[in-house]
Amino acid sequence: MKLIRLAAKNLLRQKRRSILLGSAIAFGILFVTLINGFTGSFIINVGENFSNLLAGHIFIDGVEKSETGKELYIIRDDSALMDAVDASGIDYRFLTKRSEIRGSLLFEGNGINQSIVGADWSREGYFKERIILKEGSFDNMADPQALIISSKIADRLQVELGDRVIVKMQTYTGQQTAGDFTIAAVSIDTGLFGSISCYANLDYVNELLNLASDEYLTLGIYLPELVDTEPSTNSLIPELEKRINLFSRETAGDENPFMAILEQQEEEEWEGVRYRLSNINDILSEVEEIVRILNIASIVILLVLFAIIMVGITNTFRMVMFERIQEIGTMRAVGMQRSEVRQLFLLEALFLALFGLAAGYLLTAGTMGILSSIYWGVDTPLFMLLKNGYMTFTVTAGQILLNTAIVTLLTLAAAFRPSDKAARLEPGVALATEK
Amino acid sequence: MAIVSLKNVKKTYPLGKTEVKAVRGVSFDIARGDFISIAGPSGSGKSTILNMIGCIDVPTEGTVELNGHLTSDLNDREITRLRHKFVGFIFQSFNLIPVLTVYENIEFPLLLGKNVPASPERKDWVNYLMDEVGLKDWTKHRPNELSGGQRQRVAIARALVTKPELVLADEPTANLDSETSEAIIGLMKKVNQDMGTTFIFSTHDPTIVDLAEHIIRLRDGLIDSEYRRDTEGGR
Repeated sequence: MKLIRLAAKNLLRQKRRSILLGSAIAFGILFVTLINGFTGSFIINVGENFSNLLAGHIFIDGVEKSETGKELYIIRDDSALMDAVDASGIDYRFLTKRSEIRGSLLFEGNGINQSIVGADWSREGYFKERIILKEGSFDNMADPQALIISSKIADRLQVELGDRVIVKMQTYTGQQTAGDFTIAAVSIDTGLFGSISCYANLDYVNELLNLASDEYLTLGIYLPELVDTEPSTNSLIPELEKRINLFSRETAGDENPFMAILEQQEEEEWEGVRYRLSNINDILSEVEEIVRILNIASIVILLVLFAIIMVGITNTFRMVMFERIQEIGTMRAVGMQRSEVRQLFLLEALFLALFGLAAGYLLTAGTMGILSSIYWGVDTPLFMLLKNGYMTFTVTAGQILLNTAIVTLLTLAAAFRPSDKAARLEPGVALATEK
Repeated sequence: MAIVSLKNVKKTYPLGKTEVKAVRGVSFDIARGDFISIAGPSGSGKSTILNMIGCIDVPTEGTVELNGHLTSDLNDREITRLRHKFVGFIFQSFNLIPVLTVYENIEFPLLLGKNVPASPERKDWVNYLMDEVGLKDWTKHRPNELSGGQRQRVAIARALVTKPELVLADEPTANLDSETSEAIIGLMKKVNQDMGTTFIFSTHDPTIVDLAEHIIRLRDGLIDSEYRRDTEGGR
């Protein structure tokens, strides 16, 4: 208790110096926690934005092997899939049925390779709210051949509302065909994922693909939360396996399950109809790698920053030891043990670290509050990283504990040598030293 | 049995490539309850001898025996414990801890070590000492708010707080005016008589030297003369 009180008083002795060192620690914590917070939200935001664009967290598509051995992507009868979804008891917000054309959009000599997603707009009311239109309206989708394109594609094709564009494509069996669409609306470009930015009516897309009206390519299951993805996937798989021939998602190591499916599809001998189940985490696993790298980078930055700060702390404590050399001698003379002198200096370093950490976390909370209240817009290249145009931050208790432990240990390490030197001073020498 | 016994003590300090012989072979005994002045000009070895008696320095040769303990046989932890329990220090520059109040400075040695007295007992004792040295009304003041004489009174109270048998005062009046110096020596003498504490103080001020009962005069690291006021003394 006596050492704690004395250490606290000593720290307040040179307020400006303590504030300066504490600020350096606080700045380091601010910088690193901001990165942690941003990367923490990164995966959630990208996941949610992807789920919105793809209209689901879990996706099932069918692969049919034709007599010639060609693989055709089609869900002809989804009753078994619907039974499995019901039997699994998973809680979902809605189911989406989508088909997709991959072809070239052509207009007056301009062309662009593009995917066109056919959606049933009566089922995807939620999704409609996610597309921000720059021109036109969803009412125009009443036209069966209506097409929504992003502003970027509109610029490249030089089309305007009401223009008719031609699509050169293949049917689901691979026959060349063509169709035409009317530009019904132009959406704000989401930047990173421009390829998922053309939407049409499911019936017309099916017609062009030569599918029946109740057939489609992908069943999407939209869950309440991103975190529900894995538990729901695990509940759904056994039910699906009872009813259909499902490609296994099991992998030997930490391989992406979807890559395992593709390998089976390519390497195994199979015939008839099989189904592939993928989920948003299969896509996000690539993003997770980026997050992992960013988190490692943040720790490296923290270590580099603190290597610099440590030099400052070590030098300051050396100076402090010299300034208080007679005081150390006095304390030793009146009965303070070497270990207590060491503890006293280390306690000062600990308080300095705690003060810097507290200030750093307060500063971080303030900065995060300000940054997350700014509307960055939805037409920014950062859109995918934002939540409805706002920056969000998620910091886990584990990260805070890790950063706190690193900063505390490094501060103590920086102060250890001067503290030990102070403890080893002979009282007579310390008392005789003239400052 | 003598409370302090020095036998042929020598102390040499390295100074660059040469050596300084601060103490050249000193032997003397100090009896319990003595009030002794070690006098001599600057550089005569007064402070070095006090430091060796107080175990904050070690002799190059010879032995120092403190209350029957040969200091050379003790390790740092034991020596620190001996110092804490047995010796009180009063320094020329007062050496108070600037961040602590008068009360806290006096109490500080009591909080060290394993056997810390209980709070009420400790408080009563510190308050008694503050009263004795005339600083009752200065409890919460910091050292920089006190005069030189008051600071030395705090240092005296701090030196006495652990009830040591021996108090070492290294030029306790060097930074004080003559009136305050006499008051400080008077206070030390009162404690010596009331509590039976042995006092050894170094000084080069002849008026202060005369207040001691037992005087050892040093010159160039050797004893020049030793005198006891109550005996025929002198050598």
